[in-house]
Amino acid sequence: MLKMYLSLIRIRFLMMLAYRVNYYSGIVIYSLNIGVYYFLWMAIYGDGQSLGGLTPGQMATYIAIAWMSRAFYFNNLDREIAQEIRDGTVAIELIRPYHYLMVKLFQGFGEGLFRLLLFSLPGMVLVSLIFPISLPGMMDSSWFYFSLSLLGGFLINAQLNILTGLLAFFILNNQGLIRAKRVLVDLLSGLTLPIHFYPEWAQGILSFLPFQAISYSPNMILIGGWSGHEIGQALLIQGIWVILLCLPIQLLWTRARKTLIVQGG
Amino acid sequence: MFHIQIFIEYFKQYLKTRLEYRGDFFAQFATDLLFQGVNLVFILVVFSHTTNLHGWSREEVIFIYGYFLVPYAIFSTFFNLWDFNERYIIKGELDRVLTRPVHSLVQVIMETMTPESLLGVVTGLAVMGWSMSQMDYVWTMMDVVFFFLFVVGGVAIYGGIYIALTSISLFSDSKTDIQPIMYNIGNYGRYPVNLYSRIIQFVLTWILPFAFVGFYPASFLLGSSDWKTFAFLTPIVGGIYFTIGVMIWNWGIRHYRGAGN
Amino acid sequence: MLSIDARNLTKEFKVYQSRSGLLGAFRDLLDRKYRVIRAVNGINLQIKQGEIVGYIGENGAGKSTTIKMLTGILQPTSGELRVNGYDPHRQREAFVRTIGVVFGQRSQLWWDIAVKESFRLLQKVYRVPEDQYQKHMTRVIEVLEIGSLIDQPVRKLSLGQRMRCELAAALIHQPSLLFLDEPTIGLDVLVKENIRRFLREINQEYGTTILLTTHDLSDIEALCNRVIILDKGNIIYDGHLEQLRTKWGDGKRVFLELERDFPLSILEEKTGGLPITWEKRGPKIFTAYLTSKEVSVSNLIAHLLPEIAIKEMEIKEATTEEIVRKIYQEGMVHA
Repeated sequence: MLKMYLSLIRIRFLMMLAYRVNYYSGIVIYSLNIGVYYFLWMAIYGDGQSLGGLTPGQMATYIAIAWMSRAFYFNNLDREIAQEIRDGTVAIELIRPYHYLMVKLFQGFGEGLFRLLLFSLPGMVLVSLIFPISLPGMMDSSWFYFSLSLLGGFLINAQLNILTGLLAFFILNNQGLIRAKRVLVDLLSGLTLPIHFYPEWAQGILSFLPFQAISYSPNMILIGGWSGHEIGQALLIQGIWVILLCLPIQLLWTRARKTLIVQGG
Repeated sequence: MFHIQIFIEYFKQYLKTRLEYRGDFFAQFATDLLFQGVNLVFILVVFSHTTNLHGWSREEVIFIYGYFLVPYAIFSTFFNLWDFNERYIIKGELDRVLTRPVHSLVQVIMETMTPESLLGVVTGLAVMGWSMSQMDYVWTMMDVVFFFLFVVGGVAIYGGIYIALTSISLFSDSKTDIQPIMYNIGNYGRYPVNLYSRIIQFVLTWILPFAFVGFYPASFLLGSSDWKTFAFLTPIVGGIYFTIGVMIWNWGIRHYRGAGN
Repeated sequence: MLSIDARNLTKEFKVYQSRSGLLGAFRDLLDRKYRVIRAVNGINLQIKQGEIVGYIGENGAGKSTTIKMLTGILQPTSGELRVNGYDPHRQREAFVRTIGVVFGQRSQLWWDIAVKESFRLLQKVYRVPEDQYQKHMTRVIEVLEIGSLIDQPVRKLSLGQRMRCELAAALIHQPSLLFLDEPTIGLDVLVKENIRRFLREINQEYGTTILLTTHDLSDIEALCNRVIILDKGNIIYDGHLEQLRTKWGDGKRVFLELERDFPLSILEEKTGGLPITWEKRGPKIFTAYLTSKEVSVSNLIAHLLPEIAIKEMEIKEATTEEIVRKIYQEGMVHA
């Protein structure tokens, strides 16, 4: 079973390599994104030395890491699932000897791994030559917690994508929903705005939503913005979300399969 | 004249289809509003930590954003080419388009347009109106004329770039993610460009001239004369980029390999 | 007058090759190899106004590439091409006004709107005057028996219903040349018959030239007097269907049931010197293959009688399908 999933990752890897145009343009454009947000934030800092507890240097690092991790956790599972539901390939997937959603998850993971190794790493080198970015030393334990948290972020984002994709079973055209979700995730996950920049009341609400666990938590861990206690808490919250999100997915999936049977594929 | 007639016909058909899928219609409305709201939220949150961005006040930045929404809304109404590769190349609908006696790009645009996106014009005007009333700023008659010119230029720039990007599909049917990423970059024209480094300013002005869609004309309409020359260049840059886009499209059509090979 | 005049028409495609394995894929990222494939290899094709021509070939023979060049969708790599007097790709917009196209596997109509609305839109697109549209389409709709269908959206129609609507849509502007790509694929016999009758009618009445690609050779038999066979980008046969039969359909078979059983060698001896081979298929049951046109069935019987009495006899000529299959298997026509 594991072997099959590993080969799924490998195939995705190959697929990603096949799309060369994407690869090159991706590196350039992500670097451009980092640049633009960097200048925007430096303008916001102005002459100030600290905003929301972060120094300009920490903020620059935050932006770079946020975008480079986005390359890892971002995927199109929502669109792919919706597409396969609309054109009916899901019905065929159901007779195959594996769990469709697990397959999707692993495909997304293969894609993410590809971008992490071939995109984020060289991208990070490039970006750190241009902008004043400071990362922890190689042996620093925050790398370990960061990796854990990054994986958590990937899982939560993938789960949200699967959920949105599955809605295609019940809503004829959920493309608008998919786009809306994407925008919301970018805003509320801490990618464009670190969560503690929001007003108090908004932070209160956001702490009850899964989005901050996607980007904000891993970023804060790596830039050294959190104490050991806070890191532990963040990882725990991520774990809880991963488990909680399984429930609605399972619910939708069961109902979806029923409708599939009723409609006769 | 022929194209206007054809456009009206397509529009009628569009309405009929849309009436069949009313849910989609409102979903599009709602997501558009959400998009516009999310960006406002960003600006508002940022300004809760600072009083100015490189000398631009909150109201001014909001005005620039409101202006940007107008050409952007018109652009997204007519250049809804996101799934061009999927629908026209992989599923082969371009073959059908090419057997009809109307320019292929015109047909594709008419078949994919989403007039409900025009709502963004209203939102944009409202946002601009609000910030102008906050600043007690009033336009002259000439400003209104320039506004129209700038908007047309902005739409042409956006349109030209997206036509060029969409044309990539005509050369190679492999998927590209450039369009959604380009969308991200496009949004940077709506902040004052003088806060970016020279290289980025250069890119946003001469390579991917998104600064002409938002910042340059908007700053002029705000009464700032620092970027006056650039503002006036907007319609010309629009003309150039649109022409380049259409030329690349035509070139791509000559290279088109047909579906299912 | 020539409807289609193609000289040395060639289309080449670049095909990218990927290396195998993960390492290969990495290398592809940096430098990619491609080779050039000639889908259509310098063909010459002249079709006169009013002809109905069948264009056949196996998958990948270059059929649809040719059709796409003739309809202006693809630009030829080299060669000269005039269709209805136009250069199809360069003068596309003016040219396509004079042709009608039906792709059997792909809808020409708008999926979500009623067929009637699609017709109306096409009327405007092709700038057909109202009175001409009314007169012409009333007739087309009647003959194709689609009057009750055109208020429904395309997605609700069955394949046969849709295909008849597609045909009607392709004729709105009364084109003088009609391209049909697999028009009867997946249709039942009655619908096929209806469509064929209609095609014959418009051909006779308006002198419409029809170029038809199909896998179903009964279409060709029912409609075409000329057939063109394509193989690996080359035309390997261009001529009358009848000629194809006489030239290639030389394999007449005679099934015989005899009064008594004989060993094969006796029969072979009896017809020795004639181009006939024998096969024993059971006790008293034989097949005689007449491998040349020189020998006739009566010739065969004359040699067998009177020693060998025949109880039952059946003569079978090769079907067009068998002939074509044979041509593919043997490759180029020697002619």
